[in-house]
Amino acid sequence: MTAANRFKSFIRKPHNVILVALAISLSFLTLFPLLSLVRDTVIVHPSELMSIRGSKPGDLTIFHWRKVFFDGETSQNLFYKPFWNTINISLGACLVSLVLGGGVAWLITRSDLRWKSFISTAFIFPYIMPSWTLAMAWLNFFRNRLIGGAPGLFTALTGIETPNWFAYGAFPIVIVLGLHYAPFAYILIGGILRNMDANLEEAAVILKASRFKILRRITMPIVMPAILSTFLLVFSSCMSAFAVPAFLGTPVRFQVLTTQLFRTLNGLNPGYGYIMALVMIVLGTLILMINQWFVGKRKSFTTVTGKSSNISLVKLRSLRTPLSAGLVLFILAVAVLPLVTFAIESFILAPGDYSFKNMTLQFWAGEGRVDIGGGEPGILLNKYIYLGLWNSIRLSVVVALVAGSVGVLAGYAIVRTRGTRLSGYVNNLAFFPYLMPSMAFGAIYLSMFAKPNLFIPSLYGSFALLVLVGAVKYLPFASRAGINAMLQLSGEIEEAGLILGVPWWKRMTRIIFPIQKSSFLSGYLLPFISCMRELALFVLLITPANRVLTTMLFQYNEKGWNQYANAINLMIVVIVLVFNTAINKITGASIDKGIGG
Amino acid sequence: MKRAILCLLVIAVALTGAFAMGARDQGKAGPQLPELSHDELVAAAKAEGKVVVYSITSRISNAAAEFEKKYGIKVESSNLKDGELIEKVTREVGGNIQGADFVIAQDSGRVYGQLIATGYLVNYVPPSMRNVIPAQYQNPLTFQLINKVFIFNSERTQQPVIQNVWELTEPQWRGLVQFKDPKSEGVNANFLTMLTSPEWSAKLEKAYEQRYGKKLALTTKNAGYEWIKAFFRNGLVLGNSDTTISENIGIKGQPRTTMGLFVYSKTRYDATKNLALLPMTEVTPFSGFIYPAFLMLTRNAKNVHAARLFIEFLLTQEGFAPWAKDVGSYSSNPDIPVNQGDHPISFWQPRLVHEDPQFLFENRAAVEEFVNNITF
Repeated sequence: MTAANRFKSFIRKPHNVILVALAISLSFLTLFPLLSLVRDTVIVHPSELMSIRGSKPGDLTIFHWRKVFFDGETSQNLFYKPFWNTINISLGACLVSLVLGGGVAWLITRSDLRWKSFISTAFIFPYIMPSWTLAMAWLNFFRNRLIGGAPGLFTALTGIETPNWFAYGAFPIVIVLGLHYAPFAYILIGGILRNMDANLEEAAVILKASRFKILRRITMPIVMPAILSTFLLVFSSCMSAFAVPAFLGTPVRFQVLTTQLFRTLNGLNPGYGYIMALVMIVLGTLILMINQWFVGKRKSFTTVTGKSSNISLVKLRSLRTPLSAGLVLFILAVAVLPLVTFAIESFILAPGDYSFKNMTLQFWAGEGRVDIGGGEPGILLNKYIYLGLWNSIRLSVVVALVAGSVGVLAGYAIVRTRGTRLSGYVNNLAFFPYLMPSMAFGAIYLSMFAKPNLFIPSLYGSFALLVLVGAVKYLPFASRAGINAMLQLSGEIEEAGLILGVPWWKRMTRIIFPIQKSSFLSGYLLPFISCMRELALFVLLITPANRVLTTMLFQYNEKGWNQYANAINLMIVVIVLVFNTAINKITGASIDKGIGG
Repeated sequence: MKRAILCLLVIAVALTGAFAMGARDQGKAGPQLPELSHDELVAAAKAEGKVVVYSITSRISNAAAEFEKKYGIKVESSNLKDGELIEKVTREVGGNIQGADFVIAQDSGRVYGQLIATGYLVNYVPPSMRNVIPAQYQNPLTFQLINKVFIFNSERTQQPVIQNVWELTEPQWRGLVQFKDPKSEGVNANFLTMLTSPEWSAKLEKAYEQRYGKKLALTTKNAGYEWIKAFFRNGLVLGNSDTTISENIGIKGQPRTTMGLFVYSKTRYDATKNLALLPMTEVTPFSGFIYPAFLMLTRNAKNVHAARLFIEFLLTQEGFAPWAKDVGSYSSNPDIPVNQGDHPISFWQPRLVHEDPQFLFENRAAVEEFVNNITF
């Protein structure tokens, strides 16, 4: 076969065409911006004329690198301390989520816990809700007078003043992030526990091994890869968390990399921020490599196989009821109580006074009053809220459609060409955005698309830019859902259609998609939900004309107009929950399919 | 394979650089339009039908509503933080992207250096205002002056709780004073920067001698830096918002008297929010600071006429009404009286620290770094 013929036959297969197209466009959308970011770390930005004397914007400089890494005390406060804070809170949050999520996963799959279906549904609520939900709830509850002025509900009810370390800083950040990502651990570890061959454990039972020994010698080693994956994924998610440390850390001047990034990019020295973004991306890539190394050692994929029988469940005996009740109460406290506090806070007029006569509808349906909140009307009467709401929904739907569809195609192409180098390359590229911290990713796109680039005009301030950044950032969710769905589907099914001469697009829409509908749709659902509640990714790119609900929430919060912020937050959570439940009920898609795979 | 991709990327980057260079010098013309009579301006503005404004004050939305009512021209107003506004305008005008038609911006050092010197913002004084507004407020056109003063919780005492700013560095005020994080608002960093100027550091030095009867021993460059360091180290609580700070300070039933340095207009919350706040005006050597907000067109404004009309409107009593309702906001138009119960600008001038754009531009970065390195 000549080279030309080989090329012809290569290009005639749709999965090859998709693969090549993805390889080119993803290189452009993920690797190219990285180079643009590197360039931004060595040039003078307009706002840096104050600090770099006698320079012009666009000049080359090593000023930023010197200041961030090699300037003694300045570097300490600018970079090294926030860096270690980031590492520490991420480690702490990993521990919390692993213990909690892994523990619940074990209880659900291996013990006779009561109310399992309620617990397994409600336990993932904190992950569906925006991460700062719990952070704001924490403040509503525990803020103290020392720094927060008006005391929170907890102090109002009990009269006990919370200490500073408890109300702000590292401790609450670790707890809140840990709670937020515990469902993650629950889904990943629970998935393995469910699918693992019970024969192994049963054999041990027959040989009269103790429960503890079974756990230590059989269950743990099998679950270990899942624990490590969870650890690394939660770690990188926590590292890129912005809203939680911003809400809980700033009152005590506790800085992490993301909060520093936000400050520097809007302040006098954006160059510092671009370097920090680069550091976070390097860290994320390292984590990906470690993760792949672990996963690679375990070559096979967990597949749905026939299981011999049900393993006998551990009897919790006298602990059964108290443990179950305790867990339900805990879930209610984490998933429902925050919403109650938002509702209450959004009705309070004078801060810190929770009596009934202090309640008002002003912040929901009131006309603007100049003596309260600068004359801003209640959120139900505020045209900008509706603009933000419309933008949020529009953006999330478009992003979900783009990311979801590309994910299906990517899954199809990657699985069909499995084993080739190009397939591996696209697979990695499609996962890469997951490891880029959202804010860093936003920073890259800002630096790259704020000016005309090659044939692309300046996209800054356009809706298209938000769609682009969202679709690329959430592609990993969709492509993983797509790959998993395709892996479960044997090639013969499509070949049958091929033999009958069914064209490609018909095979996709009539055969492949319908069979794996719920898995593919999960690939649409997760980007939608993530987008609805995303702040860090968009906060740098948003312009007033295309603001979304989350960035408005953040602004209100920064301004100290807590009632409006609480009301908007309630609105976002309700929308996300309603959409999630509706899609789940109608199509069977669910977010655990998206993450767990 | 990989090497080929790498090569392509390198070439692409090089091209990007070239394109970016080429794109930089577009559209320097700016909205230099012939002067119109008021009626012609109204007609032209109505033909545009819309105007976009970014503003550091949230009350722009109230003024916008009035403007819409009066002229039937749609207003898109956005309230931004000062640094955010400057960054957005830099990107939008620099990239020749349609954004705001005009802005209300603050933070003199950065506005001068980053937006006026680059020609991104264009000055426009409405003809009807040229003989009204004092010359010193005309270039760049000042919209209003805003002041931040020392305000204390007045539940226990109505008498000023300090006489000299150096008292704030003493143990009895440890952890009881609040100030908005200078990194989240430029004007606060400007205030600190101005304290390190020769004028204010000399005044601070004198104030120190008045209070303690001895000369100040310097561990830093001058008395300004010295006071900043001592002020921050004395458990200063940094807030994210003047609104929150005013609530924190003003809330009743606190175990000890607290105070803060925040916008004077927040004393308006007193009644509805059940707060107890009183300002201090006789502190040595300053009782706070005052800064201008500028009212300017963007170079690539699309709705120039509507923007001009709105600018004129904002300088009239009618347009300024949303701000005039309260203390702490002073129009550059001397015909608009200050709020009853407030003092005129002439009262505040000698009591407050002013912004000097040139000094700020040259020294702000150093002071920010200094503040960032204060540990406690």
